[in-house]
Amino acid sequence: MSDAALRERVKELVVECLFLDVAPSSINDDDNLMEVHGVDSVNLFEIVVALEEDYGISFEDEDFDVETFSTVTSIAALVERKQAEA
Amino acid sequence: MRGAPTAATARAAESSVEIVSGERLLRAVVHLPSHEPPRAALVFVHPFAEEKKCSHRVFVEMARAAAVAGCAALRFDFSGCGDSSGTFPEADLGAWRRDLRAAFRYARERLGAKRLGLLGLRLGAALAAELAEEELELACLALWEPVVEGERYLTLTMRRSVMRRRLTAHEGGVELDEEGEEEDEAAEIDFDGYLVSREMQEQIAEVDLLDEPKAYPGPTLVLNLSGRAKVSPAMAKLASQYVSGEALPVRQEPIWSTVGLVDAGPTIGATMSWLTRALGV
Repeated sequence: MSDAALRERVKELVVECLFLDVAPSSINDDDNLMEVHGVDSVNLFEIVVALEEDYGISFEDEDFDVETFSTVTSIAALVERKQAEA
Repeated sequence: MRGAPTAATARAAESSVEIVSGERLLRAVVHLPSHEPPRAALVFVHPFAEEKKCSHRVFVEMARAAAVAGCAALRFDFSGCGDSSGTFPEADLGAWRRDLRAAFRYARERLGAKRLGLLGLRLGAALAAELAEEELELACLALWEPVVEGERYLTLTMRRSVMRRRLTAHEGGVELDEEGEEEDEAAEIDFDGYLVSREMQEQIAEVDLLDEPKAYPGPTLVLNLSGRAKVSPAMAKLASQYVSGEALPVRQEPIWSTVGLVDAGPTIGATMSWLTRALGV
């Protein structure tokens, strides 16, 4: 999957899993999801399960920090890294 | 459901009751429909720890909707939870299984319904599914986002707790310390704010609903509650293990982990529609 395709899929997951009332395409890659889209930081965890299911990857405790899950770009980078490690 | 509820039919009696479970006293609420006898009765099985607290109101709303449709409901608190006796750190799944059987007996003997069903959420759904394997005459089994693999459930919940603390630390929340490393040796673990005994942790880890085909032959609903349009592989597999199993995706915020009021209309609506088909209520 290309970088662009991965980011688009992450946007779809963000909208689905966090029940955002916006089109995935309206999310910019580097938007801070909490600041720009009002995402509750605690609910970000819902993305984790979906990412693990869809990409067959597994996150470790140390992966969970606010910077990693703050933007589509950073989430996509984490997925790529995890896929490379698998 | 037979027609839309009117002001008159919407009146349902609710009363607090006590259920004896061994040496424990369980507190419960009975919801009875306005006409007697009830067409059926549902025993509600609540989830674990913080998930119980978050989903309390949804259970109340579901029980009231069932009563309006002519189906009695029994909501009870497991030992160490809510108003029931005992303390949470003392709780173990063996005691909770006894509690559930006691509540089920109470419903069979006291609610006046010939048909009994079970409705559980998360770990409560797993316990309901276990009881259904013993009570094959059960009229129906509704599993809301059941915990299908206890080990994964524990892992995800602990991770959620870690993530919450890390993500909220920058908002003035509690900073992480070294306690996580020390917990490996502790008799109890801090499970998302609740002290859980090692015994309970090990018992939960043993929960595995996907291990083998199920004997329970009656109508079984597996509701997959998420923002996704498709049923997850685990939920689909679980439903397929039942003779009359059906898995449905419901677009619903996580009612077990959302703090504050949640519109549970999608979940309650899907369940009531299924009950209408399954039981004719």
